Amino acid sequence: MGSSNRKKREKAKDFKKTKLKVGKGKPQASNFTDTSFKSKAIVVNQQSLQADAPDPVEQFKHNLSLASSSRSDTQRKEALAYLTTQLSHQPPNNPVGTSAILTKLLPLITDAYTSVRQQLLKLFRALPPAEVRPDVEKALMYVRAGLTHLSADIRSDALNVMEWLLDAASEEVVSCPGGWMKTLNSFSAMLGWNYSIGTATGSQGWTMASKATLGATKGGFLQARAITLLARFLQAGFKPDATVAYNPQAYWDNIYRLPRRSNPFAYLNLFGPARDEEGEMYPDRESRQRVFHSKWNKSITKGLSEAKQEGGAVGRAASLLDQTLSDGMGNFRGESGL
Amino acid sequence: MKPSFLHQQALQLQYNPRETQRPPNLGINRGSLAVVQLEFVAWRRCHTRPDQSIKMKRKVAALEKVDADLPALQYRIRRDPKSYAQEFFDQFLAYDAQKQIFLSAPATASSEDVKKFHDLVDMIAHVADCYPDVTGQFAEDLKALITQHHATLHPELREKVVGSLSLLKKKEIIDSTSLLTTLFPILVSTPSKSLRALLFQKILSDLREANSKSINHRLNRTMQTVLHNLVSSDRSSPKAIWAVKLTREMWKRQLWTDAKPVDVMKEACLADNEKVIVGGVRFFLGGDKEREELEDESSDDEAVDLKQVKHQVGINKKSKKREKAYKKAVEKVKRQERKKHQPHPLNFSALHLLHDPQGFAEQLFQKHLQNTKSKLALENKLLVLQLVTRLVGLHKLTVISLYSWFTKYLTPKQANVTSFLASLAQGTHSLVPPDAVEPLIVKIANEFVSEASASEVAAAGINAIREICVRQPLAMSETLLQDLVQYRKSKDKGVMMAAKGLLSLYREVGAELLKKKDRGKDATMGIRSGDIQQLKYGEEEVATGIEGLELLAKWKEEQKKRKRAEREANGELKEGEEKDDDEDSFNESDWEVESVESDDSGGWINVDHSDDEDEKPAAKKAKRDDSEAPDLVDADKENDEEEKEDPAAEAERLVKLATTTILTPADLAKLAELRMEANINKAMGNTNKHQKALAARHTDDGLTAEQIELPAKLRKTTKEERLELARAGKPNRDEHKSTQAIKRSKKDAEGKSTTNKEKARKKNFLMTIGKAKAKNKRSLTETRRVLKGHVERSKRGGRRGNIGM
Repeated sequence: MGSSNRKKREKAKDFKKTKLKVGKGKPQASNFTDTSFKSKAIVVNQQSLQADAPDPVEQFKHNLSLASSSRSDTQRKEALAYLTTQLSHQPPNNPVGTSAILTKLLPLITDAYTSVRQQLLKLFRALPPAEVRPDVEKALMYVRAGLTHLSADIRSDALNVMEWLLDAASEEVVSCPGGWMKTLNSFSAMLGWNYSIGTATGSQGWTMASKATLGATKGGFLQARAITLLARFLQAGFKPDATVAYNPQAYWDNIYRLPRRSNPFAYLNLFGPARDEEGEMYPDRESRQRVFHSKWNKSITKGLSEAKQEGGAVGRAASLLDQTLSDGMGNFRGESGL
Repeated sequence: MKPSFLHQQALQLQYNPRETQRPPNLGINRGSLAVVQLEFVAWRRCHTRPDQSIKMKRKVAALEKVDADLPALQYRIRRDPKSYAQEFFDQFLAYDAQKQIFLSAPATASSEDVKKFHDLVDMIAHVADCYPDVTGQFAEDLKALITQHHATLHPELREKVVGSLSLLKKKEIIDSTSLLTTLFPILVSTPSKSLRALLFQKILSDLREANSKSINHRLNRTMQTVLHNLVSSDRSSPKAIWAVKLTREMWKRQLWTDAKPVDVMKEACLADNEKVIVGGVRFFLGGDKEREELEDESSDDEAVDLKQVKHQVGINKKSKKREKAYKKAVEKVKRQERKKHQPHPLNFSALHLLHDPQGFAEQLFQKHLQNTKSKLALENKLLVLQLVTRLVGLHKLTVISLYSWFTKYLTPKQANVTSFLASLAQGTHSLVPPDAVEPLIVKIANEFVSEASASEVAAAGINAIREICVRQPLAMSETLLQDLVQYRKSKDKGVMMAAKGLLSLYREVGAELLKKKDRGKDATMGIRSGDIQQLKYGEEEVATGIEGLELLAKWKEEQKKRKRAEREANGELKEGEEKDDDEDSFNESDWEVESVESDDSGGWINVDHSDDEDEKPAAKKAKRDDSEAPDLVDADKENDEEEKEDPAAEAERLVKLATTTILTPADLAKLAELRMEANINKAMGNTNKHQKALAARHTDDGLTAEQIELPAKLRKTTKEERLELARAGKPNRDEHKSTQAIKRSKKDAEGKSTTNKEKARKKNFLMTIGKAKAKNKRSLTETRRVLKGHVERSKRGGRRGNIGM
């Protein structure tokens, strides 16, 4: 009996409330651990304390890496903002070169946060257009990925980047490998003017409305914008090739002088993987017209006529596109014209 | 209904809010609830104050982010491919763009790009079958990607591509051949271990699946040719190990059972790479055993007790789950039954499927053993040696140089010498010239067997000699044998037994070589009567008729006698009737093996019935019947009367018996049983376990070093070993307590309650003392009542009783 009583008491003790007494501190908890310590000096192992501010080049690089790889969106945005200010100095402060910046930052086109994307666009606009040109092909890849992204916001921001590209280097955009056909593909996917979907699903019902994806959330505004940009793109593509003044030295230059452009033999595609029809480059107006005529004319005309009927911003944009088409393709005589 | 369509409605609302003043229809369907919410937000925005709309806007952004994930899209596409064609096409373009980005720098792609590409590949692979027109190129893309960049791809992406390809195969977008021809070259060439493991598993499962319904001969042939080429094209490359592994797996699962995979393995054995050689050799030595074991495992796994399941269904609450479980059990039992009745597949062992075993054995021997330049490790050399000797013994091949090669390895100091001895014995057969083996036997005797050598060594030597002589008795010389036989007087049990084994062997196969006093009764009598004659070299025992037929006849006759005796004892014997019951009875069940145990009517069917009519009942059986087809009933008379007749006539009679009667399957089964029994009995007067095992050993099985070493194990174990044995499997105890106390403390630690007995034992003494005192003062009747009550309670099962049980 005695032992069981004792046990009972021991058990009950756990649930008893301890009495607080005046003038005495709170009793320590049973699991209390004393963590106080004394030390004569504090040694911080991993931090280097420097009196002067870090080197601006280092700072730039640090921010560049932050912008491209930080996990926090505000940090990314702020790093981008820092880079933008550095780039918009006169003269621009760019220790790594435009190409390196683009390589690092292009993936941000499909960043999940709107603020980051907007800041990115500002940064792009601060870049000198001449230095962007060699990297247009790479930039276009990311833009296309953005144009076909699932999220509508990213798509619309990708359109802005596209606009910047057209501003900066319209000629390279339409003539680089994949720049013509693939970009047109993305545009038509955005607008829902698709020639291949009907054959893919086997039926062409009335649900195949023109505004399948893009028009959905942001409404006609975005569609109008996409059509306007398509018009700009086509304008760039159908721009008549500038007639070069006769240069008696041109022949010899061609043979003996080093080319001034980057990758002058790109059209030979010596080192890349084999290209198919879509990834091919279409360097001159005629070839672009030919491809456009055989692949796109029909579906774009159809979509265009539907868009025109809508009126409003979309209608206006559509008529602009119509104008562009008639200007660009007006003198094209089809296959027989070649 | 598609969300985009709903969106259109929402947009219209937004454009001209004056026209529609009520919120859009909210009850469209549950799937598009989020979308409807969006619309609602759009509608509200037109009609509410701006500060509210800001709050809403944040909500919209959150919703949209959720909406933009690929798994959701994949789920929707799966449900309604037609409506989501546009979205899919967009994502296909996105995949294309991402692929371009990726391919522009596959080695240095950022982890984010890799992740996006990974997700898109995953999504498209899952729904590719819905849009065959759009995704026609997809599989080719993946194949090109993995083939060209497998070395540099991100591991996860690589795995995803392989997984997607096998998924596409599962969806029948690509066929097995193209999948295998893509994956196999990568398997062979990739430096990544994890990828190799994945590919191997995928290839294997694909092959298994292709062969699951019916054997896909075309695919197998293609694959086997590829493997064969891989092994035979470059002999020194380690890549062939994959061919070996694949073949072995397929062989194990009985999917490949013909000569072609054996040929692949043969080529592997003749390779230059050590790993490949060992893989091939191990296959021949152990592949068939592995196959059998797997079959046994699969056949006896989880036998379902149908009765129990049925019973449980009757008791328990009925539910769909239980019903399903029952159905499944029934199905399983049926399947097992069917499997049991299926004819056993005739699978030849790999050693029997070899084409030219002579050439193979010679090549193996010359390349890996005789060749001084071969750099194989000793254990691998031993494996090769085992294979060579196994082939020689099994197919009775002649590789003369093999025996002289053995000479230098037959010393007690040689590592693994027992394996060498076993191999030597295994490689000996009756067609080996005795001259080739004799020096080896002499060498073994000189090196191993002497009074000075350790007892284990001597035992192993004698055992080895015995095993050799079992296969080629002519290799023994008289003096040596007599010398060795004397070791049966040895004090060591192992040596003694080995020598006795040798002695009993030679009593059978060559008693003339033994001294007269050692020959034993049977041998001496046999030699005198001329029964036992030693076979000359190359001479074979010619089988006459069916082996063991006389045993069966004898057994039948005994059965008959016994029956007759029984009947006579019962007084049931009636004239004429006995015939119908006994000899003539030709019932269907005789054709089933199981139906005849040992007591049933004889299965002998007399084809010629002419003598049946005038056959006399058993009482007059002394009369000799001169029928031309003697049946079994006559056998005993013959035994009685014609003991002296020469054996030639007896043999002739048996032959005649075999040609004029039909043996039922039951008879054949009994015959096999009897033959085995007789073999055992003949081999050993007193049969012990080891000897029985020896007799039952299949000729296909090889000889192992353990069989040579066996007597060494007879030595008693040391004390430490015995202690270890005794301690094994028992709980570790530090202090010496009673078992009960240990159990109790364990239960306490687990927090379990005490039993009533334990409580009673622990009860305070003062509490029990009163009762104890009172017990002493009980009257007789009281005591009786208490005792009775106790008995009754124990019958009832306690105070509460077992009511309701």
